[in-house]
Amino acid sequence: MPNNLSELLPQMQQAVLDGDEQEAARLAQLALEQGFAPLDAINRGYLPGIRETGRLWEEGEYFLPELVTAAVAMKAAMAILNPAIEREQDGQAIGTVVLGTIQGDIHDIGKTLVGTLLSANGFSVLDLGCDVPIERFVQEATQIKADLVCASALLTTTMLSQRDLVLAVREAGLKAKVMVGGAPVTQKWADEIGADGFADNAVAAVEVAKGLVVHRAA
Amino acid sequence: MQPDAFLQMIDQRVLLLDGGLGTLLISMGLEQGRAPEWWVVEHPQRIYQAHRAYVLAGSELIHTSTFGASPGKLASVGLEGRCQEINQAAVYLAREACEPTTLVAGDVGPTGLLLPPLGKATEQEIGQALQEQMEALAQAGVDLFSIETMFDLREARVAVMAASGLGLPVMASMTFESRKRGYFTIMGDKLVPSLTALHQAGAQAVGFNCSVTPDVMTGMVHAARMEIEVPLVAQPNAGQPQVSAEGIRYPASAEEFARHLVEMALDGARLVGGCCGTDPSFIQAALLALEAAELR
Repeated sequence: MPNNLSELLPQMQQAVLDGDEQEAARLAQLALEQGFAPLDAINRGYLPGIRETGRLWEEGEYFLPELVTAAVAMKAAMAILNPAIEREQDGQAIGTVVLGTIQGDIHDIGKTLVGTLLSANGFSVLDLGCDVPIERFVQEATQIKADLVCASALLTTTMLSQRDLVLAVREAGLKAKVMVGGAPVTQKWADEIGADGFADNAVAAVEVAKGLVVHRAA
Repeated sequence: MQPDAFLQMIDQRVLLLDGGLGTLLISMGLEQGRAPEWWVVEHPQRIYQAHRAYVLAGSELIHTSTFGASPGKLASVGLEGRCQEINQAAVYLAREACEPTTLVAGDVGPTGLLLPPLGKATEQEIGQALQEQMEALAQAGVDLFSIETMFDLREARVAVMAASGLGLPVMASMTFESRKRGYFTIMGDKLVPSLTALHQAGAQAVGFNCSVTPDVMTGMVHAARMEIEVPLVAQPNAGQPQVSAEGIRYPASAEEFARHLVEMALDGARLVGGCCGTDPSFIQAALLALEAAELR
């Protein structure tokens, strides 16, 4: 039995890198049983695993299967840690987010990982899934008074709909900020369509999201 | 057409294929996100016109408008249960646009069914879906099959085996990207072993299409040529798509595209054409360039 968190952290990172869903979940459970802070486990254990996965992708060592299994492992750990975080936070999220992959696009991985990391960092996240019509983004954002609307697109054809989403959110008079992301999406594109935020990976997306809700609070 | 006759043909000369069909249809008014297969039934005349433009530009082999015409893909765009009808109609439209010697390749893209860890599909399910589409294409009289834009070697192999089981020639191409350690599909399938596997599975010609610029694909032809002796097919994009508020633009010019196609043919590619962002003017430029290089 480990008696300090630092013994578990490298194992958590490795479980993500190996895409080992069961091991990631087991370690999360163990961390809670030992009384370690769930946010520490996420930020110092699992998240470095996701960062390293991203680095190995950039390096050409990892491919799509490794990205997917790493995200699945991260999600399995989050499923166990999230309820504990919510108890700690006493239901006070730092912001509410409506998230989805835009209409016509069924690419799930990046969007889901962003959702997982946002909820790990204290956001309340409503994940609408893939192929989400623009009206549905607006509807749900209105309903839950979202602070952020996040839309992913993996295709050059579907990213054009991100522009329509920005317009629709503004036209509906929502105060929500709009964040866009996805493989072909760039800061330049985000600027052109008037989006409030852009990040080129899931870890960076959390920082951008935090920045946007701080601005909003100010 | 018999597989042997096809092999003999590409042994004798470089065959000029068509260019991208989807992006050409978009430029003709197909809405972004609308499946080209819808136009097979809604605007058959425009599909015919697109094919005809390629034939007039010099394409000796054209692809049917059936990239997404496997049963599951059709169902996902609202064309459920119409696999046979659409594949047959698409072959008819392509054939109508042909000159007597033009070949019609039954175009087959990924089924959209994902194998683990991306999805839960099995190779058997993929095989069944492809079989239904390919039988419809074969019955409608395609000369050969062109399996293309495959990104998972497992699915590509299943497709090649199903196609060659129908007794027609098969060309099979996957979409690779240039990574630090070489050319790979997004699934991590390496270039040369993938092409070798597809050849062994029964494809007469193997190669690459989509995703990359003509100059990157020139490198792929070279890398493959250094290691294997299989007829190669190369169909690059007109550069990387650039998206702006005005729409999508492909930066490579017809001349630049044509120059690289010649380079690839000189390096041993036997079937050359274009993918996304290319149009009949690219094929026309390629024809002139191939002639100038005495490859025709």
